[in-house]
Amino acid sequence: MGRWSDRAGMALSLTAVLAGGACSRPAPPGAGDAARPASADTPAATAPAAQGAPGASTATRPNSTDAPVLHDFETRVKEYAALHDKLEATLPKLPKEATPQQIDSHQRAFARLVQEARAGATAGSIFTPDVKAVVQQLMAQVFGGRDGAALKASIMDENPGPIKLTINGRYPDTVPLSTVPPQVLQGLPRLPDALEFRFIGRHLILMDEHAHLIIDVIENVLPS
Amino acid sequence: MFTRLSAAAATVVLVLMATGTGSPATPAPQASASPLALTLPNRNDSLKFAVLGDFGTGSTEQYDLAKQMKRVHDVFPYELVTLVGDNLYGSERPQDFKTKFEDPYGPLLEAGVKFYASLGNHDAREQRYYKQFNMDGKLYYSFKAKQNVRFFALESTYMDPPQVAWLEKELKDSREPWKIVFFHHPPYSSGDRHGSDQRLREVLEPLFVTYNVSVVLTGHDHFYERIKPQKGIVYFVCGSGGQLRKGNIDKSSGLTAAGNDTDQAFLAAEINGDQMWFDAVSRAGKVFDSGVITRRK
Repeated sequence: MGRWSDRAGMALSLTAVLAGGACSRPAPPGAGDAARPASADTPAATAPAAQGAPGASTATRPNSTDAPVLHDFETRVKEYAALHDKLEATLPKLPKEATPQQIDSHQRAFARLVQEARAGATAGSIFTPDVKAVVQQLMAQVFGGRDGAALKASIMDENPGPIKLTINGRYPDTVPLSTVPPQVLQGLPRLPDALEFRFIGRHLILMDEHAHLIIDVIENVLPS
Repeated sequence: MFTRLSAAAATVVLVLMATGTGSPATPAPQASASPLALTLPNRNDSLKFAVLGDFGTGSTEQYDLAKQMKRVHDVFPYELVTLVGDNLYGSERPQDFKTKFEDPYGPLLEAGVKFYASLGNHDAREQRYYKQFNMDGKLYYSFKAKQNVRFFALESTYMDPPQVAWLEKELKDSREPWKIVFFHHPPYSSGDRHGSDQRLREVLEPLFVTYNVSVVLTGHDHFYERIKPQKGIVYFVCGSGGQLRKGNIDKSSGLTAAGNDTDQAFLAAEINGDQMWFDAVSRAGKVFDSGVITRRK
């Protein structure tokens, strides 16, 4: 934890999104050279070798006209990242060999800080209407491809279906995390570590995995 | 490529000493006293390990199987356990770590057995910081064991491009002849409930083939299954460490070399030189699948 500043320079890569549609996210701490994010304009920043790359059949390409919208998304995520970093730095660092008590206390304390700092946050604060439209367009390409039905099935596996989502609220403890297939992640903008895209029912959520909070949501991204 | 794959496939030799699809479920208390019929050679300097998945329920069945694991450890002292995910079901408060992990496996922890976790869809990401899971704060990682074995733990619910790139580099740079990968979602499975994760397979299998991975350990489907070798690689589904989905193996899949969807189970294994022996052990203490795998070269 508390490593956000290490990744601040590469939190989001609009260039990578527009260049290849193969988006990536930073590596976990100490994961090795290959896992460290390369600069956004190098091939390594966008996709692994061809044989390991997620299926080309579902690759997506944002339109160049989407660039301002994605830039706005990048800015908003960076702002959230800065807040995340600032708040987490006020807490004692969680050791890599923590007890369950330390893990639980840290997560809940951090969640409280985020919730207080974002009190009143509503849907659309990061997924603005314009961002929502672009993401829905990207996902329509993914799920409209020949593997679309199978990708949706992967996501809906053990997915609880519609439940009430609360922005700035805790991700429900009893709800398993949806699997997000590599082909779907390839089609979404790049996120910094500690933020993840997940699905609950047909909704795409932005989740702070350190705080275990739902940061924002786009409803009905998955086709019915 | 075809020639290379064929040659690689030929290096895997499976000698089945006993197979079965569905040993009858037996109440564990009576069966636990039955003699263990392990087939493992139990050599002095070999790497001995176990595989467990989908276990963290806190149920009687989980505790029963944990007792069998200790019983096996008493005669076959494995040094580590790879966890293939769904380590804690439901809430993950501190008391859950105790009742769903530390209590059932306490005797193994006290004996010095190290557990190396991968995360499943029921697991919070913070488990990576839990001392007893030995993840060093990482969602995906690798570690070297003795007998020139390297294990690679993946996070299969979020297989993003950086993780795939990391895996490729780790596999490429690995000098250990034995490469074993473990994670939650099975690229091959005969599960009626979940089945093969073909999206994951599309991304991972080419790397496994190219870099001579010999064995892949997974869970998610709540039964035990050994898959017929696929492109020279042996896949296991070990998803009945606490959970169990009875009758869920689709026998028409054509994938199953051996399976058990009638009782909880774990896998015990031993590597010495170029060979890996394995015994699948049920909650009733029955060894229902055994064999030996020769590593890919």
